Amino acid sequence: MKKLFGLTIITIMIMSIVGCSTDNGVEFNSSRTINVITREDGSGTRGAFTEIVGILEGGENGEINDRTYVEAIVQNSTDAVMTSVTGDEYSIGYISLGSLNENVKAVKIDGVEATAENVQNKSYKISRPFNIAYKGDLNPLAEDFINFILSTEGQDIVVNAGYVQVGTDLTNYERGKELEGTLVIAGSTSVTPVMEELVQAYKEIYPKVTIEIQSTGSSAGMQAAIEGTADIGMASRELKESELAELTAQAIAMDGIAVIVNNNNPVEDLSLEQIKSIYVGEITEWNEVIE
Amino acid sequence: MKGNFTESFMKGIFLICAVTSIIAILLMCIFIFAGGIPFIQEYGFKNFLLGTEWKPSNIPQSFGILPMILGSIYVTLGAVIIGVPIGLLTAIYLAKFSSKRLYRFLKPGINLMAGIPSIVYGFFALVVIVPIIRDVFGGTGMNVITASLLLGIMILPTVISMSEAAIRAVPNSYYEGSIALGATHEKSIFSVVVPAAKSGIISSIILAIGRAIGETMAVILVAGNQARMPVGITKGVRTLTTNIVIEMAYAADAHREALIATAAVLFVFILIINGAFLVVKRRTNLE
Repeated sequence: MKKLFGLTIITIMIMSIVGCSTDNGVEFNSSRTINVITREDGSGTRGAFTEIVGILEGGENGEINDRTYVEAIVQNSTDAVMTSVTGDEYSIGYISLGSLNENVKAVKIDGVEATAENVQNKSYKISRPFNIAYKGDLNPLAEDFINFILSTEGQDIVVNAGYVQVGTDLTNYERGKELEGTLVIAGSTSVTPVMEELVQAYKEIYPKVTIEIQSTGSSAGMQAAIEGTADIGMASRELKESELAELTAQAIAMDGIAVIVNNNNPVEDLSLEQIKSIYVGEITEWNEVIE
Repeated sequence: MKGNFTESFMKGIFLICAVTSIIAILLMCIFIFAGGIPFIQEYGFKNFLLGTEWKPSNIPQSFGILPMILGSIYVTLGAVIIGVPIGLLTAIYLAKFSSKRLYRFLKPGINLMAGIPSIVYGFFALVVIVPIIRDVFGGTGMNVITASLLLGIMILPTVISMSEAAIRAVPNSYYEGSIALGATHEKSIFSVVVPAAKSGIISSIILAIGRAIGETMAVILVAGNQARMPVGITKGVRTLTTNIVIEMAYAADAHREALIATAAVLFVFILIINGAFLVVKRRTNLE
């Protein structure tokens, strides 16, 4: 209910911002500063983005330095990043490809458009796995549910939700004997939307099964799986070593990360190198990337 | 006999209710300090409180929260500078100058302000204040000024309601005495009534500081949240509260403990503020 209320407000706000920005119709001024927007430390999206783009710098003794521009605005959700980019013509941000909509513009990376197909054929460079993880042996219900996710039917749902399937030789899901019981799935807010659709489809096959999803964040989900308060944990990043020591991980989908700018921004194409320079603060004005 | 039983039964119920809140606060203290203090000891009290780098994704990680402590102090200070004069003058106006008819509109309006969820204030600031600040000062529009403006507005109801009550509590004989000595209405209020309500007004400011320093959801949206030493009022900052909320969902291991330790520091701040409030209040009662 709270979430619904929040979403409604966000929608109204976005619409009013869009309304305002079309009214004034000021030309895009490319000598303005780039307003860099990033995600918070520990976010799966940020972890994958900084690693792939090369913002993380490795030292000799296994040191890692996150060189994200100190002046970058930090927002802690996909929605907040999108709202900021929608409201600020001179900003740049990055979000999960599955959440992309027409309020913002995704730029091409090295000439490759951000689409599910390009993520799958690996020509789009910035992508990451969605993982689920569980502790020890699975109960029959959980095991069957994971089989469902990895079947043709399950992966169809993944693709329809705007993500990319894992693996190519999929088998059809076969309905076994009637199952019942309760599953608790907890974790990443990025994985939750697609998990909700998977759960809904699964419940249509087995009406007596109850599955509860808790959208708490990747680390909280892994913690819940380790402690046993959740049967399955969801993470929008690779698992950390401390987590892998306790859990078994399984990728259920691939997700691209779209680099987004305001719709009024003329920029269409950025190289990975340019994005890196923007995010470490070497390029600070738009005219350095717009000819 | 039956009456007696009901009596003691209800007594028990009330006792349980009273104890529940105490237990809740005790549990909270235990959770926060048990989770936070071991980390602070391990990382080093000085490194944690006075460290200027917050980089949980680095290896080795650094968890210095001085930027956030300063961020909280700056933003709160800004809120007090903006909110207290407006709030105090409003309270004086409401208590001593406004007509009854106007008061009937103003008072419920101010009470309504106190009831608006903070996230709504945040969105208001994001959509209205941020673009204005962006046009005036350039940059992103998410900075100390924006956050201070927003918090200044948010603390108004606290300052106004409590100050107004304090001013109204001053015995009318003070005012009448002053008038009798030949002072004007304005002079009597500003030189006699308001100084007499001083401790109540100070309490309202202290509570407002508590509210400003503890505010989270609204500040997240407009402060920019950069985890580095504050570099000026037209640049973004991160406060202690936003540091916790922003990173909690995805934090693991030492990062998570560092956030709980941040909460412990914030808790100490709030204890100090509430302590100051109690001291001021006790002094009032002694007078």
